[in-house]
Amino acid sequence: MKSTQYSKKVLDHFQNPRNVGTLEGKDVAKGKVGNPVCGDLMEFYIKVKNNIIEDIKFKTFGCGSAIATASMITELAKGKTIEQALKITRKDVADELDGLPPIKMHCSNLAADALKDAIHDYQTRQKPQVEPTKEDKEHRKGIINAEEFLDKGIYYKVDDLLTFKDKRVIVLDKGDKSIETAIELTKQTPRVVYVTAAKEISTNPDLNTKLKQSNVKVLYESEIVEVRGMNTVEKVLIHDLNEDEEYELFIDSLIILQ
Amino acid sequence: MNKYLDYQSSKPVDSRVVKAIIPYLHDKFGNPSSLHKTGDDATEILEESRQTIAGFINADKDEIIFTSGATESNNLGIIGFALRNKEKGNHIIISEIEHISIHNIAKYLGKFGFTVSKVPVDQYGRVSIHKIIDRITDKTILVSIGYANNEIGTIQPISEIGKLCREKNITFHTDAVAAEGLIPIDVKKDNIDLLTISSNDIYGPKGIGILYVRKGIRINPLIIGGGQERGLRSGTENMPGIVGMAKAIDIMQNEMQQEVRRFKGYQDQLIKNILEKIPKSYLNGHPKERLPNNAHFRFDGIEGESLLLLMKDKGISVSTGSACSSKTLEPSHTLIALGLLHEEAHGSLQLTCGRFTGQEDIDAVVNALPGVVERLRKLSPLYVEEQ
Repeated sequence: MKSTQYSKKVLDHFQNPRNVGTLEGKDVAKGKVGNPVCGDLMEFYIKVKNNIIEDIKFKTFGCGSAIATASMITELAKGKTIEQALKITRKDVADELDGLPPIKMHCSNLAADALKDAIHDYQTRQKPQVEPTKEDKEHRKGIINAEEFLDKGIYYKVDDLLTFKDKRVIVLDKGDKSIETAIELTKQTPRVVYVTAAKEISTNPDLNTKLKQSNVKVLYESEIVEVRGMNTVEKVLIHDLNEDEEYELFIDSLIILQ
Repeated sequence: MNKYLDYQSSKPVDSRVVKAIIPYLHDKFGNPSSLHKTGDDATEILEESRQTIAGFINADKDEIIFTSGATESNNLGIIGFALRNKEKGNHIIISEIEHISIHNIAKYLGKFGFTVSKVPVDQYGRVSIHKIIDRITDKTILVSIGYANNEIGTIQPISEIGKLCREKNITFHTDAVAAEGLIPIDVKKDNIDLLTISSNDIYGPKGIGILYVRKGIRINPLIIGGGQERGLRSGTENMPGIVGMAKAIDIMQNEMQQEVRRFKGYQDQLIKNILEKIPKSYLNGHPKERLPNNAHFRFDGIEGESLLLLMKDKGISVSTGSACSSKTLEPSHTLIALGLLHEEAHGSLQLTCGRFTGQEDIDAVVNALPGVVERLRKLSPLYVEEQ
């Protein structure tokens, strides 16, 4: 079955998705599920009162079936008790939609998982808050092969911005100076990626606004593991700390300000 | 009326070609191998067609081998050459953005003791000569790099690659399927040793193509039988296909220049309007060195299959490099090689015009696309509108 041969019900939920959006407030629980390989991402927001899901909203980045399954499960879960909602399976969602193409069953049918994640968040909130023990994130000692590629695509300082003309550049988070460098570089090349292990950028509001308005692509919760290439830098291996996944990214230059 | 902007995937056969083929399905049914009159007639038209096709790429008639299409030509060119020349070396160089058939052929040759190096491309999809040189060893026997990329439309520095390979005494194969009919091809000027073209990509029938094999280049056949095509490709000649391909080339030679000028006009409109009307939209591929019929974009925060389906609702056929629309659920390897992240590769849109594209098709896309992108972004957790 081709991915575009969706059932009428799938197409209906894709074209007219129900309960799109977000919910706000202290009593809102949130769930998030992503499949980094396929790239689908789903966020669910639920409001629970007297053990019943009173309201539910979602946002999805994904293909037709990702949008349709998310929309369908909001209809299935609304008004249900927590226990009932937890019992909704991937298969239930697919069945309600009159089936999904087999290839999509695994990849895009994430709605049931995302709902469970939101309910889990709700249940955690009900329990007395325990201060989580601060895990000292183990920082990498260094990037594999960094020394070998010094001045062959890896730079510890930026003398001349023109060196990076039309290059794909990664700037590693080293504080404000590195943010400024990344923004400056967008004048020389359309592709500047800023890589930080943090969840968000902590800098002064001014610089933060400038960064957001710039063409710099920010990769949060990411670390560079290894540099790869033949004679010069050609790609890096990136560790996504959030998903605990590693993937390669093609680049030309890596700037690690000292 | 369906607006078709996916000429890269498939093209209709020109009605003039259809007309030329019909007699060869019934009245002129001869087999060129037969010695009687009917066979002689077939031989004559076979060789005439071969001459036309050779002229299209500035080759000699006996350098043209008919095959069943581009995939077979790529197989014959690469596997046939590799197996024949194994004692000279076992190393092959391709690029990261080759068509999937080349990638899989290279992988297959791995089982026969060959090693394959992939040359990276820059952010616009161009191969650099230096990166090829970095990879050449004394075992390198073949470089295979596509003339232009079928997805993003970037044109490679073919002349430079050909020159380099000739100097280093390495055989150079190029898959010119995406480029044929859009760029004049000259195998002599560009020092090309092996070249793949297909018939459907110039509005001829599917199921026929050629491999150009320069005189002096030795290859093994992959299909063994009655010894047709100088023993390099057995099987009774597909006469309707061959006649159709020759007719398609005839038409192309007369109309290409004018057609390309028209495509460039459409391309300019698409690129200008879409980048202007849609915030956070980007052009993939090279700003200048690109096929005149190709416009390839990406949009932050949305996914290509959803985009394709909503465009389908509006009666517009387009293509995407998104994983969700592929058999493997992997995003396009070409977009990843440009240095894009998976989520960026997902939000891509490919528009390709062709002979029967009209201004109304371009207008339809320009009118529909901004609304479709906006609608999907409203659903997306990845897209935050600028304050």
